[in-house]
Amino acid sequence: MNDDVLIRCQDLRREFTVAEGRAGLLGSIKSLFSTKSSVIRAVDDVSFDIRAGEFVGYVGENGAGKSTTIKMLTGILTPTGGRAVVNGTVPYLERVKNAFNIGVVFGQRSQLWWDLPVADSLDLLRAIYRVPPARYRQNLAELSKWLELGPLMKMPVRKLSLGQRMRADLAASLLHGPKVMFLDEPTIGLDIIAKDNVRRFLKKINKEQGVTIILTTHDMDDIEALCDRIIIIDKGKIAWDGATNRLKSQHMNGKILEVEFHDYNPDISGAIGLTEMKTEANKKWLRYQGDGGAALNDVISALFRDYCVKDLSIHEPKVGDVVKAIYEHGVDHMEAADHG
Amino acid sequence: MRDELGIYLTLVVASIRARMEYKASFLFLFLALLVYYLAQVGVIVIVLTKFGSISGWTLGEMAFLYGLMVFSQGVTTVLFGSLNDFEGQIISGGFDRLLVRPLSPLMQILASGFEISTVAHFFIGTTALYFGSKSSGVEWTLLKALYLPVVIGGAVLIQGGLRLGVAAVCFWTIRNRSLVHMLVYSSKEMIFYPISIYHWGMQLFLTIAFPLAFINYYPSHYFLSRGGAQLLFHPYIQYLTPLVGVVVFALAYMLWRLGISKYQSAGN
Repeated sequence: MNDDVLIRCQDLRREFTVAEGRAGLLGSIKSLFSTKSSVIRAVDDVSFDIRAGEFVGYVGENGAGKSTTIKMLTGILTPTGGRAVVNGTVPYLERVKNAFNIGVVFGQRSQLWWDLPVADSLDLLRAIYRVPPARYRQNLAELSKWLELGPLMKMPVRKLSLGQRMRADLAASLLHGPKVMFLDEPTIGLDIIAKDNVRRFLKKINKEQGVTIILTTHDMDDIEALCDRIIIIDKGKIAWDGATNRLKSQHMNGKILEVEFHDYNPDISGAIGLTEMKTEANKKWLRYQGDGGAALNDVISALFRDYCVKDLSIHEPKVGDVVKAIYEHGVDHMEAADHG
Repeated sequence: MRDELGIYLTLVVASIRARMEYKASFLFLFLALLVYYLAQVGVIVIVLTKFGSISGWTLGEMAFLYGLMVFSQGVTTVLFGSLNDFEGQIISGGFDRLLVRPLSPLMQILASGFEISTVAHFFIGTTALYFGSKSSGVEWTLLKALYLPVVIGGAVLIQGGLRLGVAAVCFWTIRNRSLVHMLVYSSKEMIFYPISIYHWGMQLFLTIAFPLAFINYYPSHYFLSRGGAQLLFHPYIQYLTPLVGVVVFALAYMLWRLGISKYQSAGN
């Protein structure tokens, strides 16, 4: 294995046996006596390598297999087939050894003690992870400064706001100085300021401390703001894997124009170099491809000349738009559309 | 190992402190348990004052039998109480959280539900053992005094093993609430009375298949010097409680380990 590779998944597979339910009362009585079940392959021969220091977004729709993959990498689930190695340890065979190397944050499930002050929870984790006192003090001082934990330390966890709790949870998962961090929906339910704080903190520990981060989220703004690389999983298989920049340059060239017209919504099929994406009341979202056609300022002047435009703004296409398109049509379709 | 014991105790202290946040709830639970057990004792006393003895057991001997059960149940609840709610951890996915920490998940579960309101058990249990041995004239030799905690240890392992085994079923079925009610809460009512009142088939069942009789019935024979006339088996059986405890707990622990390897984890 390459020295640089920190996480390796090779043909990783996980199947679940699901008892088949039947409809109706009679059906549910029948299913009590039959053992009919079906096998669902939640993760289907997934392979990827993650190098030390990467910040990877692992995205997919609900049920696509992303949580199942993360659970195998953190030692919660044993794979049905294939192999995973995290920092030289096979997580499901050496669960405890792996636990010392990783930090895990589940956005919806705090790991703090609900009824105890934050300081006490952190102290219990120090005991569980056997962090030497000197290193604990140093780590805590640093995390406390970055996450502004000072005022929270004496508060019982149940009295914290969601944003405060997430800050405390992030500190809790990093106290033992893990090399790898798994984050599952860390910004879910947070307000904009809290989200921004979390993102800045994650960026910092990745860039300055070299912590490798694997982030699963539904928030594409998280991915766009943080991840150097995106792995998209769809129906248990990897649908796309590569640098975020490459995803942008391959699939997101051009601009999106958001145009508001004066009290009507014209047919713009005659306009040059623009494709309609969405229309709503007297607003339209238009995609400007820009590869070799008319220049953007010419296209915009033409719009103002030919139609009664009230307002116009220009956006960069978002990673979320592309990812959604990949879920819906698959990556081949995307490439065909771009090159066709 | 010593390391782990230290962490366990740290977690136990935290669990007690967390619970003390709700002092009123603690007090109510304590009182409820006290009333519940006093009512049980009341029924036994009424039955015995009417009939004099049950199956050749006097009131004092019955008190000893009962005391052994309640006391060991108190210790079991202190140590293994949180296992009864294990279903909740599986349903909510909270068990995942325990698996990503470098500590045995079983130890984390046991430490998290350290139940102190069971002082009610100790109060009732000690009183019953005291009056029982006094009124049935138990001669306390050094050996008997030393053997009593060993028997209680064995009885705790039997009951703890039962709770662990029932909890492990969740790895396959997710829910186990009805099993907890049937095998953990209700089953102990079968050993309120000397099992010699039952049909021999039932006695066999409570000795071999579901060995609750080792919690109080068999060891009481030794402490009360009852002889073996009433026993279905060789009188040696009255000394087997510690061994049965170890075997039951080991089997339950194996089931638990197997269950963890089959764990499916709830979806998000």
